[in-house]
Amino acid sequence: MNIISGTRFGDIEYEPDKTLHFPEGLIGFGHLREFVVMPQNKPGPLFWIQSVEDPALAFVLTDPSGFFLDYAVAPDAGERRKLGLEQDDECLVLAVVTVPPDRRITLNLAAPIFFAPKNNRALQVILEKTSWQTRTPLPQV
Amino acid sequence: MLVLTRKAGEGIVIGDDIRITVVEIKGGAIRIGIEAPADKKIYRQEIYERICRENQEAAQWNPSDLDALSESLQKRKRP
Repeated sequence: MNIISGTRFGDIEYEPDKTLHFPEGLIGFGHLREFVVMPQNKPGPLFWIQSVEDPALAFVLTDPSGFFLDYAVAPDAGERRKLGLEQDDECLVLAVVTVPPDRRITLNLAAPIFFAPKNNRALQVILEKTSWQTRTPLPQV
Repeated sequence: MLVLTRKAGEGIVIGDDIRITVVEIKGGAIRIGIEAPADKKIYRQEIYERICRENQEAAQWNPSDLDALSESLQKRKRP
């Protein structure tokens, strides 16, 4: 067990071989390679990841397909290689959630995260030719 | 910053594996051709910076907001 001290959740114990590994970091945070997936307090579609390298940094993620049924993105051949994915391996899509002070959350659908459950690797990519926005509000219900 | 003057058809080589060519200069815009290894990501600067800013923004949140949010989202979730 290792410990990350002084996060917004307090001190966190984690197993180093169970972290989520971003071989290229997050965009703009290239130095952040390892994250701990935090246990959820309450059931729901949101979960959060805590940086191992920087206790001050944590991100909220969600599976966007539960909110946007037509959101269909997939890694290209180079991205699959970086994720270590072979032909039939599963790849999940996640989105970074922004929580503004008014709690009207938005999803960054212009820069999804591809996640390979097989080896716990993840990659954030920028979709250049897309109409999906960096701040997509949740659809009205 | 290194500043070089190039004409249409001329180029720049960066290291052994990146070539940038000025393809055309027309009406205040320059068309640039880039040859680079497939694993080098190439973005328009303003798009890249927008994603960086959004990630920085997304790192600012309060755990107490999330419990309330999780609850309200759980309610609206499709069965």
